[in-house]
Amino acid sequence: MDLKQIMQNYFLDLDAAAKDPDRKVAWCTSVGPAEILRAMGFDVYFPENHGAMLGATRLCMETIPVANSKGYSPEICSYLTSDIGAYLKNITPLAKAYGVEDVPRPDVLVYNTNQCKDVMHWFEFYAREFDAPIFGIHSPAHLPEVEPEHIANVVAQFKQLIRSLEEITQEKFDPKKLERCLALSSGATSLWSEVLKTAIADPSPFSFFDATIFMGPIVVLRGTEIARDYYRDLLMELEQKVATTRSRENAVQKRVYWEGMPIWGRLRHLSELFKRNDTCVVASTYCNSWIFADFDPHDPLPSMALAYLQIFINRNDTYKEKYISDMVKMYSVDGVIFHAAKTCPNNSNSYYNLPGRLKRNGIPTIVIDGDLCDLRCFSDEQSTNVIEAFLETL
Amino acid sequence: MKEPSAQLSENARYYWGVDCGSSEIKVVLCDASGNILHKKKGKTLFPLYQNVYNALNDGDATPFVENSPITKDNHKIIATGYGRHHLQFVDDKLTEIKAHFLGVQHQLKLDVPYTIIDIGGQDAKVITIDNSKVDEFAMNRKCAAGTGAFIEELAHRLEVPIGDMTKLANQHDKEFMLNSFCTVFSGQEVIKTLMNGERIENLIFALYRSVVKRVLEMTVVSTDIVAFSGGVIAHHPLLVELFGQKLSDKEMVLTPETQYCGALGAAVHGMSV
Repeated sequence: MDLKQIMQNYFLDLDAAAKDPDRKVAWCTSVGPAEILRAMGFDVYFPENHGAMLGATRLCMETIPVANSKGYSPEICSYLTSDIGAYLKNITPLAKAYGVEDVPRPDVLVYNTNQCKDVMHWFEFYAREFDAPIFGIHSPAHLPEVEPEHIANVVAQFKQLIRSLEEITQEKFDPKKLERCLALSSGATSLWSEVLKTAIADPSPFSFFDATIFMGPIVVLRGTEIARDYYRDLLMELEQKVATTRSRENAVQKRVYWEGMPIWGRLRHLSELFKRNDTCVVASTYCNSWIFADFDPHDPLPSMALAYLQIFINRNDTYKEKYISDMVKMYSVDGVIFHAAKTCPNNSNSYYNLPGRLKRNGIPTIVIDGDLCDLRCFSDEQSTNVIEAFLETL
Repeated sequence: MKEPSAQLSENARYYWGVDCGSSEIKVVLCDASGNILHKKKGKTLFPLYQNVYNALNDGDATPFVENSPITKDNHKIIATGYGRHHLQFVDDKLTEIKAHFLGVQHQLKLDVPYTIIDIGGQDAKVITIDNSKVDEFAMNRKCAAGTGAFIEELAHRLEVPIGDMTKLANQHDKEFMLNSFCTVFSGQEVIKTLMNGERIENLIFALYRSVVKRVLEMTVVSTDIVAFSGGVIAHHPLLVELFGQKLSDKEMVLTPETQYCGALGAAVHGMSV
């Protein structure tokens, strides 16, 4: 099945679930306990995905100011302001893309603070609006290492969450269903990892900008056969592409790494900019965020806790420095572009001199200013100039 | 300055550098040895193409014919600056970072690490040169503090002609700092300070010091030599002296063709592509 069809089916099914009194919809953060929710029979909706769609379609430029005028600062997460503004304005990009007029009403909202605290405020807004129950996994943050006590802490929160969800569903939690769901999730995430690794090839079969599109199913359909099957097919296709691209005739001259959030409203502009400069963005921290190598269906809750805690964004800078250095080697990267996203300090790793430390280790780096959604924080001309000048120095 | 018509030959090769900046378009024509045969500047105005074309076509004996400026095989046109991507007829393009380096290097011929401070209309750059190439650079972020736009805005507020500012600043009898980072808020601060009875000469001096402070906040200058380029330095030479006070252990060098460094660098780049 092609990607557009997969995403359309997902949103149409969610829409149907929201309108069916016998089905229940859970809203979840992108690295929240989606597997638990799915195993307990919820259809899962990810507001961050909606935020990205608002950014990519640039509808956010109409909706962010609405949220701003209601008291949500332009300085906070622009996924949040894009999405709340869209809700207040009663518009959604799902209408044009998939014929779905409204985002699905939540029966429960579950967030995990392993990414940031803004998701909590975001979900709390909707919990008030829909008068729906809300639960949070409050993760120990900025970890140098994930220790047993961190895992125990999060497992205890999962157990509490499961008890609360049992009250909502009026059904007993079935560990077998979670094992099955986690196995599917693990399969999909492993395949996603292999998909990304095909970009180690030179020339790379795709760029970061393609990967931001390919990643749809791993974001919204973790724990399903659909995601696993999509990445199995995609991997075969990309491996074939690598195998048949023997000539280096079309090889790009430079390979760079993208650190930070995508600039959703300027993906095409940036993609063309790199292409024009004979450069491929071969890897990114962002797309790697949905690799959960530690998922273990035989040890579900602790392995989920470990996987969710040890994501890049939840780690300290020493870990991040090593992680990026390893990526630079693995993907034979010539330089690293840090995107300082104005409204996403948690996912902008240039503020505490990480670029400087990498530079001292011989890895060329540059920082560009921008934002995930809010294009008022991004200058085409200035970023073009900085990126092109950086590429000239490589 | 020599007229291009007096220099051009059918058998020689020529290199045009076009620096399409945010405020001004600068054009230089070089021979194959990098000697400047002609230079010209004008305001960056719409339509950009026409303004660049006017700058390239200087007199009857130019090498170009109407609407087809690359008809001569022995001429190469290289563009730099913010407007470079809007010029379709050029042979190649490069960023101002590299262009200023090539322009400065072509004139100073330094074989040691050095730093270029280039203050332009809407951005300021600190470029570190090592091993005869750009090692790293820093640019102002989305803010006009420390740029020509900052000086122009405050000159406008003070109703002082740009050309008089250095002269007035040299008449200061007191030193203080402007606090605001933002150009607009600095304007408010300037007016308030004037209302409090401060001399305009002292204010302009403070304004220059503010530019120096903002530029030096961008990065650490690690080399022993600092070369200056860019149009703002050309119009406000006092800045070099003020940078020298802050970087007192370093040698300050004002590049001869300060304002044309970018255009010259573009022309020099043309010789290698």
